[in-house]
Amino acid sequence: SHIELAIERLDDGEVSPYLAGELRKGDQLELRGPIGGYFVWEPDQGGPLLLVAGGSGVAPLMAMVRQRAAAGSDVPARLLYSARTLEDVIFREELERLDAADDSLTVTYALTRAQPAGWAGYGRRIDAAMLEEVSWPTGERPLAYVCGPTRLVEAVAGDLVALGHDPSRVRTERFGPTGVP
Amino acid sequence: MDETDLRLDGNAVAGMMAELFGFEMTVEWGGCAGCGAVNQLGALLVYAHGMGVVACCPDCGRNLFRIARGQGRWWLDLRGLAWLQLDEQARMSR
Repeated sequence: SHIELAIERLDDGEVSPYLAGELRKGDQLELRGPIGGYFVWEPDQGGPLLLVAGGSGVAPLMAMVRQRAAAGSDVPARLLYSARTLEDVIFREELERLDAADDSLTVTYALTRAQPAGWAGYGRRIDAAMLEEVSWPTGERPLAYVCGPTRLVEAVAGDLVALGHDPSRVRTERFGPTGVP
Repeated sequence: MDETDLRLDGNAVAGMMAELFGFEMTVEWGGCAGCGAVNQLGALLVYAHGMGVVACCPDCGRNLFRIARGQGRWWLDLRGLAWLQLDEQARMSR
């Protein structure tokens, strides 16, 4: 088995500086899990699928994208991924490869801080207008998964419901410093 | 950083809840004793601090449960939960 950890370094964090800066090949980690059935999508749940990521929140959504590809699923899926710059996009090569190879998967970036020369995509934070343009029409009853910092997650979830999406089909996972004992 | 930034959800305490209850709790359903709203625990608003966590109803904001840990003990204050439904299929295997 192969497990990939996506780590966002928080400069004042307790764990991430160690994982991102100190860990060396051959070091051992103790893992518990997998745990968490709420923020999970399986291909047999159908769709269409709307995935909205803020920064490192793309991690669980990437697992869904990979699961979908591995299963050969043609459930239509759209990933809207907000990052500061193109260089901050995680899994970029893999996402571009999957996007190019699969007509039923679309990846859209919202670059909030700086955009490359000639960028024709979104250059601002995710908002209701962007969600309306990118998302499925409400009549399609998409399954939506939103993950990232709390502010983004709550704003996006609120916007999706305000646009008319069924709240019971919008799932959220908030990322942030935990301090959980 | 204000309260918003420190707010997470039930997913953040999935491991703790699994350890305490022996079930994968984020998929399980609970009823709010305050407003009656029914939610999966993964949707609860969670505030974590050094000594424990507070989980609140996403509909009315009232406290559902508190979990604290210290001195070799766990304290659970479940007064805000009217009921909890645990599906056998979510039982954690040993």
